[in-house]
Amino acid sequence: MNMRRAFLAAAAGLCVASAPVVFAQTRGQPIEIQFWMGLTGLAGELLTKYGEEFNKSQNEYRVVVSFKGQYPEQRAAAIAAYRAGNPPHIMQMFDAGSGDMMSAKGAIVPVSDVFKRAGLQFDPADFIAPARGYYGLPNGELLSMPFNVSTAVLFYNKDAFRRAGLDPEKAPRTWPEVIEAARQIRRTNAAACGFTTTWLAWIMLEQFSSRHNLPIGTQNNGRAGLSAELVFDTPLQRRMVQTLVDLQADKSFDYGGRSNDAAAKFISGECAMMTQSSGGHGAIARDAKFAFGVGPLPYWPDVAGAPFATTIGGASLWVFAAPNRTPAEYRGVALFLNHLRSTPVMVDWAKQTGFLPATNAAFRAMRDEGFFQKNPGRDVPILSLIEGKQGDHTQGYRFGRWTEIRDVYHEEVERALQGRQPVAAAIQNAQRRGNELLRAFERSVN
Amino acid sequence: MQRRVVFPNRVLPYVLLAPQLAVTVVFFLWPAGQAMFMSLLQQDPFGLRVTFVGLANFRAVLADPDYVAAFWRTVYFSLAVTALAMVPALVLAVMADRVLRAAAFYKTALIVPYAIAPAVAGVLWLFMFNPAIGSLAWVLKQLGVAWNPVLDGTHAMLLVILAAAWKQVAYNFVFFLAGLQAIPRTLLEAAAIDGAGEMRKFWTIVFPLLSPTTFFLLVVNVVYAFFDTFGVIHAVTGGGPAKATEILVYKVYYDGVHALNLGSSSAQSVILMAIVIALTMIQFRYIERRVHY
Repeated sequence: MNMRRAFLAAAAGLCVASAPVVFAQTRGQPIEIQFWMGLTGLAGELLTKYGEEFNKSQNEYRVVVSFKGQYPEQRAAAIAAYRAGNPPHIMQMFDAGSGDMMSAKGAIVPVSDVFKRAGLQFDPADFIAPARGYYGLPNGELLSMPFNVSTAVLFYNKDAFRRAGLDPEKAPRTWPEVIEAARQIRRTNAAACGFTTTWLAWIMLEQFSSRHNLPIGTQNNGRAGLSAELVFDTPLQRRMVQTLVDLQADKSFDYGGRSNDAAAKFISGECAMMTQSSGGHGAIARDAKFAFGVGPLPYWPDVAGAPFATTIGGASLWVFAAPNRTPAEYRGVALFLNHLRSTPVMVDWAKQTGFLPATNAAFRAMRDEGFFQKNPGRDVPILSLIEGKQGDHTQGYRFGRWTEIRDVYHEEVERALQGRQPVAAAIQNAQRRGNELLRAFERSVN
Repeated sequence: MQRRVVFPNRVLPYVLLAPQLAVTVVFFLWPAGQAMFMSLLQQDPFGLRVTFVGLANFRAVLADPDYVAAFWRTVYFSLAVTALAMVPALVLAVMADRVLRAAAFYKTALIVPYAIAPAVAGVLWLFMFNPAIGSLAWVLKQLGVAWNPVLDGTHAMLLVILAAAWKQVAYNFVFFLAGLQAIPRTLLEAAAIDGAGEMRKFWTIVFPLLSPTTFFLLVVNVVYAFFDTFGVIHAVTGGGPAKATEILVYKVYYDGVHALNLGSSSAQSVILMAIVIALTMIQFRYIERRVHY
C-alpha cells in the first residue's frame, strides 16, 4: 500500500519534471540544441563562448555546449545516447573517427543536407580543399563540417640550435638535415635529446605518406570502398622507422609516448626538435622558455617529386539523426553551424587556438589583414597543407576502425623501439593486424 | 547466536530494502544483464546491424593471444600489487602498534593515502616519475638509471604496480592494526615470561592469530588489483607502451570504448564477472570457517 503510494508519487514527479519540455515549444521558449565538444582549455572556452554568442543573437534556439570527455570517451557516450534514442544534435569528432562515422548510415545526417533542409545557402567549395577531400563524398557534398583543422609541422628550439652551432634561423627541411642536426645537438650536448614526435601514427604514417605521395591503402586510400587493403609496408616507411630506432640509441631521437605526451619533452627543453600538430603552437608559445621556430614537416629528398602536401588533421562537426528530431531542431542545428563557419568566428578561432582557418574566406581575411606576416611560423602549416604540391595520395584517407589501427601501429613500432623486434617485422605486423581490423569492420558494416 | 529482527508490518522491511535493491538493480543487475546479452551478439557501434552469434565472441576472446597475454599479465600484476600492498602494511602496522607517543599522528598519516582517488594517485606518481619533468625521475637519472616508462615496458609496469600498491597500503594498514589490537595481551605476556624473543612471538603468536585478517586482505587485494586499478593505469600509462600494462579490466575498457567492439568487450566483462564471483565465493567459504592454527 505504502509502496504503491510511493510509486504513484514518483510517477507524478516524473510527469511534472518532463512537463516543461512538452510545453516549451508551445509557449515559445527556445528549442535546445545539444552540442558535444571534445576539447578543453582555451579551445573549449572559445566554443562555449560561440554558443553563448549564438544564443544572444536570437531567441528561437538555445545551444548547450558540453564536454563529455576526450574524443574517444565522448564518441562512446554519444553512441550510447544514440542507441537510447537521444543523441546530441552535434558532435565534434576527431579525424581518425571519420571512417567509422561515415559508414554509420542512418545515424548521421550529412551537413550538406542539414543546410539544404533549412534552406540555407551552403557551398562545400567554401571550405579549404583538403578538408573537402577528407570529410566529403565523391559527389562533392560534405558529410561533416570541418572545424578545427591542423597539419603536422616541425618545431625547433632556436636557443639549442645556437648552442649546437646550427643556424637558428634555418629549420632543417629534409630528414637527412634533421638527422644531422640531431646528431650535432647530441655531440655538443646542446640538449638531452635531438628530436621527438607526438602523434606517432598520425605523423610518421599518415602525414608521412601524404608528404611522399605514398598510398596508405588501396581503393583510393579507402575512400572508394570498404574492401581497401593497407599497403603502407614500403621500403620508405621501413626506412623512416629504422631511422627512429637507430637514433634512439644515442637519444638523437627520443620516443615520448603516444598522443600529445611528447610535447612536454620539447617544451621543457629536453628535446631540441619536435614534429607535432600545428594545433600545438599555442601551448608552446605559452609555456616554452626559449625562442622557437616552425618549419614544414621534413621529407626524404630522394623520393621522386617530394615534398608533396601534408594532409589534414583535427576534427569536424557531425550531425546525428534520431527518430524524434523535428525539422525545427535541424533548422536550429543549421543556424548554429552557419554561425560557427562565419568568417568572424573562424578567424577568431584560428587566431586564438593556432588551428588553421577551415574556410577559404577566413583564410583570405587573415591574409589580407597581414596576420601571417605579423606572426611568423603561423603560415607554415598553410603552405604545406593548402599550397603544397598535390599528388594521387595526398587527398586524405578513410578507413574504418582507424583509431584502433593507429594503436596497432603504435604498439608495433614501440616494440621495435624497445629492441624487441626488427623494424621490418614491426611494419609487417602493423599492416597485417590493420588489415584484419579492416576486414572485421567490413563484416560488421555489411 | 544470530539476532533476528521481526517486523510487525510485512511491507515495511521491503520498503526499507527498496533503496538498496534499486541501487543494485540499476547499477549492477541491469548492466550485468546487458553485458551478458551483448556478449552473444555481433554488432556495429551504432547498433544498426545486430546479429546473434551465440558463443562466438567468447571463442574469439579465448583464442586471442593478446587476451591470454593480458590474462597472465594481470595475474603477475595482481600478485605483485598484493605483495607490495600487504607486506609493508603489516610491517607498518606492527611498528605503529608499538608506538606510544604521537600514535594517532602516525596512524592518520598512514591512512590518508586511502582517501585519495585512484586517478589522482596515478597522476601523482606519473608526475614524480615523468622522464621529462618528474622529481624522482631526475633522481634516478642522477643515479645513472636510464629511466623511461614511456618506452620501457618493465619500467611502466613497475610504475603502475607501485602506484596501485601505495594506495592500498593504507587500507591494509587499518585492518592489520585492528587485527593486532585484537590479539589478547595475555598470550604475548605468557610468551614473554617463557622467554620468547620479538621475532619468535611474532611468528608463533601474532602472525597465526592475524591469519583471518591476512586471508581476508589477500582476497580483497587481489580483487582490488584485478578491478579497481583501472584509474591508476588509465592515468599513468593508458595500457602502454606496446600493451605492457594492459590488464584485463583495461582491455575491456579499450575494446569497448576506444575500439567500440561491443561484442568482444562484453564477453570479456562476463569472463571478468565470473572471476570476481569465484574469488568472492572463495572468500565467503573460508572466511566463514575462519582460518586458525
